[in-house]
Amino acid sequence: MNTTTHYPAAATRIWLVLVVLTMLTWAVGESHLGGPAIVALVLATAFVKGQLVIEAFMGLRQVRAVWRIIMFAYLLLVCALIGLGYAVGLQ
Amino acid sequence: MTSAELTLDRTRGNPLPGDFAIWIFIFAELGVFGLLFIAYAFTRAGDVELFNASQSLLDRRSGAVNTLALITSSYFVVRAVAAIKRDRAAVCSRWLIAALGMGTVFIVVKSAEFYAKFSEGVGLDTNTFYMFYLSLTFFHYMHVWMGMVILAVVAWKAAQGHYHAGAHTGVETGASYWHMVDLVWLILFPLVYVIR
Repeated sequence: MNTTTHYPAAATRIWLVLVVLTMLTWAVGESHLGGPAIVALVLATAFVKGQLVIEAFMGLRQVRAVWRIIMFAYLLLVCALIGLGYAVGLQ
Repeated sequence: MTSAELTLDRTRGNPLPGDFAIWIFIFAELGVFGLLFIAYAFTRAGDVELFNASQSLLDRRSGAVNTLALITSSYFVVRAVAAIKRDRAAVCSRWLIAALGMGTVFIVVKSAEFYAKFSEGVGLDTNTFYMFYLSLTFFHYMHVWMGMVILAVVAWKAAQGHYHAGAHTGVETGASYWHMVDLVWLILFPLVYVIR
């Protein structure tokens, strides 16, 4: 197997990163923080977490580029449109 | 470049993990959830005050604990796939059972959250925010149940010796579905519980 992320140590590190990013998002929520900068940070965090799950956990790092691009584009589009919806609400 | 080389080039990299049929399902599910998320974001833009006021009444701790539960269960599923690739069926089965344990945490926490909201008299017709909150989270909740049924079947089959290093598509199929359930929640949690 040439799948580095399927080695337990790499997967464990990624799990730890996901936990830390989740705690960050939770802290933002508990502090009732809002506004464009905070929302951009929260959405960027969600995007990074999603990519980690897609690439490392689902194992798409090892698959044909077309599938990786589709999933990347999907996640980016959804996060960007959520951000756009938020921005429209600021008007 | 000859046509044979072109063919080789196009097939570089592995196919999607698991049965391709599950990926059709995964793409369809992601499409539906994506549209619902975007619909939420733009509907919120029309009544920001109502959404912010209702959102502040949600149990963020439940949402965060459930995020941790799904992330951890996804990690356990990665370990299960790694185990079967090394021909360790019993270990694979145990990781899947651990993942089911985390899935159960999610179900218990989310059920308690639904119960608390219904006890407060909150329903689909309370307001637009709650219509989205209940629909989105309940739709996802059903997917967690579905994923747990799949993981339970795969765990049982792994324990029975149905999979080994040379034949583990079933494990990867279940794993892919479960990661999708996790992925959807990773967007749902910040969108509904945090963004304001």
